[in-house]
Amino acid sequence: MIVEHLPILNLILFMSMALVIPLLRRQPFKITLILGFIVLGLVSVSSIYLLYHVNQFDAIHYTLGGHDTRFGIELLVDPFSALFTTIIVLLASIIYVYSSGDRTEGIEPNEYGRYYVLLFVLLMSLFGVLYTNDLFNTYVFIEILSITTCALISIKRKREAYSSAFRYVMMNELGSLSYLFGVALLYMATGITNISLIGQALQTAYETYPFNVVIALTFMMIGLGIKAAIFPFHVWLPDAHSSAPSTSSSLLSAIVIKVYVLVLIKILFRVFNVEILLDLNMRTVLLVVAGIGMIMGSVFAIAQQDVKRMLGYSSVAQIGYILLGIGLLSWEGLRASFFHILSHGLMKTALFLSAGEIIYYKRTRRVNDFDGIGFIMPVAMSVFSIAALGMIGLPFTSGFISKLYLGTALLDGRQVVFLGVLIVSSLLNVMYYLPIIILAFLKNEKYQYRLTSIERAPSTMIGPLVLLGLLIVLLGVMPQPIMQLIDAAVHTLIP
Amino acid sequence: MTMNDIIVKTITRIVLPFAQLYGVFVILNGHISPGGGFAGGAILGTTLILYTLVFGRKKGSKKFSHRASEIAESGGIMLFILIGLIGLMLGGSFLTNLDAGFPAGELGSILSGGMIPLLMIAIGIKVTSTMINLFNLLIDEGVHS
Repeated sequence: MIVEHLPILNLILFMSMALVIPLLRRQPFKITLILGFIVLGLVSVSSIYLLYHVNQFDAIHYTLGGHDTRFGIELLVDPFSALFTTIIVLLASIIYVYSSGDRTEGIEPNEYGRYYVLLFVLLMSLFGVLYTNDLFNTYVFIEILSITTCALISIKRKREAYSSAFRYVMMNELGSLSYLFGVALLYMATGITNISLIGQALQTAYETYPFNVVIALTFMMIGLGIKAAIFPFHVWLPDAHSSAPSTSSSLLSAIVIKVYVLVLIKILFRVFNVEILLDLNMRTVLLVVAGIGMIMGSVFAIAQQDVKRMLGYSSVAQIGYILLGIGLLSWEGLRASFFHILSHGLMKTALFLSAGEIIYYKRTRRVNDFDGIGFIMPVAMSVFSIAALGMIGLPFTSGFISKLYLGTALLDGRQVVFLGVLIVSSLLNVMYYLPIIILAFLKNEKYQYRLTSIERAPSTMIGPLVLLGLLIVLLGVMPQPIMQLIDAAVHTLIP
Repeated sequence: MTMNDIIVKTITRIVLPFAQLYGVFVILNGHISPGGGFAGGAILGTTLILYTLVFGRKKGSKKFSHRASEIAESGGIMLFILIGLIGLMLGGSFLTNLDAGFPAGELGSILSGGMIPLLMIAIGIKVTSTMINLFNLLIDEGVHS
């Protein structure tokens, strides 16, 4: 059947698109843009169909070259990977449309092609990381992901961009290597790298080589923690954001760091399992790390003057929320953190893109220069406000729903202390998001009589923003359809 | 930048064909001996870099132009993907080798291993062009700034 081939065809489509762009360099750039949009559309359709297929029928196991799973590379499309690849490709399409509008600010004209090559290779590696069912193959895709992300950060020819990209490379290479070391230790203990097989083999391996397994888990968690910007390892993230173009920032914050969290989830629940993790007292470790991240990320964000650095630190706090859900090691917790991955993805994309539009026209990144902008650029600032209110967790936004699920999951797990942390962190969110909204809409009367907006942005920039704002509200009003898909995804991890 | 030393120029002229032949040898024997597409491509690319170093960027790009290396870079991977897709078309999965009907050949000879020699050639093309492309990019960067 053709359905079986769809995952590999998705990867091939992205890769071929990246290969075709340099060949089209002498043609008008519009051709490349349209071709890229066709590719994204095709992959969206096939991802959505795969999502429908695996939820309705059975998961798809696909081995490259028809080799035995013990030796070959296996792609596994189950409700988990199908759901998140669909989310990624839809978010990426929105960002893609926006980037075609603002011509990705700050990039030199002859670099546009390079930007889109990197974008499609990035998407291919994101899909690969989620589809693959092999620990070493995951490493290979993670490496492609790190390199392309680094290039996307440093694509502006500026000194600060290079220095932050260098910091990113150094930190992330440490992360990759420590992940690889963890894989090597697991391979030593079991002799396989296939995730499903290793999951079965580890039951006995944990008895015979407990030391190996514990060290492997630690290394993998630290490695992926660095890449996902979990609190003590987050140093590279705000710098990377402040110098990158806003489309790169939104890709990085909304999608890339989430994928590392998803790999961490795969490793915690598929390679290891809840019994081993509880035996090692991982619940306390994860919850404490998440709690500290939630508080400290917000505290740092309050002190920032640069809007993009502020959003970067806010991502650190939000990764803490996701980790809190994972750390409960329960069905409800994982459900909440999956929903938060989706809702934070939407909100952060909206925040970065609307801030990007404001930066594009006002040429300022300082938070204090936002006064009266609500009257000058109503659409961008409204979307910013909706997303910011979602971050705070007001009702009728997706942020409220994810905090609700997270709160009930915490109560079910009897972790009342962390419920307090959640509330404190939400209050801290109020402290840095609300002043911007007040500054933009309520203060400074000198703009109020100037009712004509000067919003001249092209519709390819406004359209994605409006869509994101609508999606945030829609997800906040009726989360049920998505929750069914998320429940199916959680069932593949915790039976 | 060119080297005006006659010894370097003459020796390079003599050595280059042999080095390139060796590169091709390593690529073609990838499936039966140590080496393969990457190692052989690196050798081939190095010979092109040596030529550019000795005779200058202009003469170098006459031998292997920027446009050609661009096409070769994309084309190498395209070839790889196409060979993989043949397996998919013939009823197996992506990159299926012998089960899809690629001839197994005689063990230990050049024409064996089904599609693996073809894949090695594709990788060789890609690595060769990437080597020379990276080198040219570094040179041009130095000229501009």
